[in-house]
Amino acid sequence: MSTTKTVNCDVLVIGGGVAGCFAAVRARERGLNVVLVDKSYVGYSYATRFATLNFLVFNPNEDEGALNTCLKAVALRGEYINDPEWTEIVLRESWDRYQELASWGADFCRSENGSMFARDVPPFTTVRLGLKGVGPACRERAETIGVKILDRIMITDLLKSGGEVIGAIGFSLDTGDCYVFRAKATVLATGLCSFYMRNTGNGDALAYKAGATITSREFIFVWPWHDPNLDMSLAAARCVYMKFIDAEGLPVKHDPRSEIIDLSLEFLVHEGRAPIYWDLDSATPEDVERMKKRMLSHDGYMGFDPNRGGKIRMFGGAWMLLNSMGGAWLINKKCATEIPGLYAAGDCAGTRTVGAFHIVSGFGLASAAVTGARAGIGAAEYAAKADKPDIDEEELINLKEGIYAPLKRGKGFEPRWVLEIINSIMTPYYIYAVKHGDRLKAALTFIEFIKDHIVPRMYAKDLHELLLVHEIKNIVLNVEIFLRCSLFRTESRGTHYREDYPRRSDPEWLAWTKLRDDGGRMKLWREPIPKKWWPDLSTAYEERYPRRFPGE
Amino acid sequence: MIGLCSNWINHNLCTGCGTCVKICPADVIRIDENTKRAIIKYSEDCFGCQLCKVHCPQGAIQMTPKRHMMYPPPLGWR
Ligand SMILES: Cc1cc2nc3c(=O)[nH]c(=O)nc-3n(C[C@H](O)[C@H](O)[C@H](O)COP(=O)(O)OP(=O)(O)OC[C@H]3O[C@@H](n4cnc5c(N)ncnc54)[C@H](O)[C@@H]3O)c2cc1C
Ligand code: SF4
Ligand code: SF4
Repeated sequence: MSTTKTVNCDVLVIGGGVAGCFAAVRARERGLNVVLVDKSYVGYSYATRFATLNFLVFNPNEDEGALNTCLKAVALRGEYINDPEWTEIVLRESWDRYQELASWGADFCRSENGSMFARDVPPFTTVRLGLKGVGPACRERAETIGVKILDRIMITDLLKSGGEVIGAIGFSLDTGDCYVFRAKATVLATGLCSFYMRNTGNGDALAYKAGATITSREFIFVWPWHDPNLDMSLAAARCVYMKFIDAEGLPVKHDPRSEIIDLSLEFLVHEGRAPIYWDLDSATPEDVERMKKRMLSHDGYMGFDPNRGGKIRMFGGAWMLLNSMGGAWLINKKCATEIPGLYAAGDCAGTRTVGAFHIVSGFGLASAAVTGARAGIGAAEYAAKADKPDIDEEELINLKEGIYAPLKRGKGFEPRWVLEIINSIMTPYYIYAVKHGDRLKAALTFIEFIKDHIVPRMYAKDLHELLLVHEIKNIVLNVEIFLRCSLFRTESRGTHYREDYPRRSDPEWLAWTKLRDDGGRMKLWREPIPKKWWPDLSTAYEERYPRRFPGE
Repeated sequence: MIGLCSNWINHNLCTGCGTCVKICPADVIRIDENTKRAIIKYSEDCFGCQLCKVHCPQGAIQMTPKRHMMYPPPLGWR
């Protein structure tokens, strides 16, 4: 049914969120022939499109003291395993990326107090985003300067020749045609892995399969969900009003210095204090006003009435694996991975900008924009020196067969069923949040079985299901990476909590986890953090780590 | 990939422009070949992000944030 189309370019960018768009724009500005491919619709899909809270900025007019204060705050909250070089780069370059996005027409808006800049979580400064976010403006910019955009093509594999990445292969969701991209340099910007949206961890999976090293995927980002019977617009209101109570009506204490809830809800649930409610009854008129203004900044999108009072039941959360914590290991600040010709940016690039805890949401977009721009330059420089890629035709035939096999199989396992099973193994709080070696191993046993026995036998009835099959394959790989990293780090830190190791272990675990394919098995090791970035080990433990874990 | 919402399309308003088909991040919507109007073809994969509704130029898409599943999707706790 499928014909093969070959696309030649200097730089191929896979994934059109803010990271991919910046990468494509930067490479194009250098006069190269750039193709930007997305399984969905560039600028309108996935994390970038949903990021409508805020964008982190650091104003260059502030003095070095202010920068140091921010760096210290990240180290303290990220529990010393952020990479301070990346943190500084993201902070310093965030302002220029913000200005650039604004000039492209991104939907920045004023905060509830009328100012352009908000300080919800001092010492960080953010700019609020309206309902359109930054994605559509990024797409327009890329189109304007002549990036060739190809939407609705799912990339399934990277192409390699002599140890170098020379492009990628995938299929069109509309025609089913096979697309072969031949590129002198390739940027992976495919986002994160999460269980609630359709970010399916394709970047980590593609990088891992190509032999790249993945880092720090034990850390999570949780986002508690409310009763799905209610309008989703209340999520916007919840960002500015975070009062929760437990089943007995006792207020839930969570870290007031963070806009993002840590694992405190999960810890309460583990104590048997569920259900947890969002407590609208205690909202003051000022709180209600703030919520309304927050929702109004979403283009007047007011499906939910913050004045309604009551207690709204919370369900445990969607969790995701963000870039600012882990992803493909980068060997330089131009976002090169260890594989020549392959660059990574955004949520699938392992910058570890925030370390073990995601302190304020604006870091996601800012570090994606900053790494995207850097990867675009890095890839353009590489492409300028690279030869025309040579593709191994035999490998192509094998890859093509692999892509379409689920359509021809006609029997086996349905992809939705497989996803449901993975969800039921992974989403209970006692697996992803309150971890224990025994439970992680149990989950891993199932996931390994699914990977070996079920994944190769999934079948698809149409192109939509073929997409599901390939996405789920990647989710399974991401889940295995998450479980193995979680098992490997035998301590607790940030959003990685091990009930069987409830304390931070310094200096042993002042280190990053790293993982790579080793003849079909995942090999893990530890990358020690340079001593110059360690906390002062002579200070008391409680001072070094103000946040307490249960049982520590 | 978790069906959270049920949405439907008002075929008197829909012009079949295809915006929602392109934009839906879950690849849920198609244009019906006979009626030339949008249909929610894979509703079980809709995760309720509302982008189709936000971007439809005709305001033709309605959403009920009610789950059409018997149970809410597997989440962290209940
Ligand atoms: C609900 C939500 C709200 C958020 N709110 C904020 C916020 O307010 N502020 C903030 O700073 N950060 C926020 N974040 C984080 C932030 O959105 C991300 O860190 C950032 O957008 C990542 O950008 P990206 O370009 O790396 O990835 P994405 O925007 O996810 O883009 C990845 C792209 O790759 C494409 N793709 C994936 N796999 C393939 C494949 N195999 N083939 C082809 N294409 C593929 C996808 O379709 C997608 O378009 C939020 C995240 C979420 C999920
Ligand atoms: S965007 Fe609206 S008008 Fe266009 S096809 Fe979809 S429902 Fe119809
Ligand atoms: S709500 Fe989102 S996932 Fe559901 S059909 Fe609309 S765009 Fe697709």
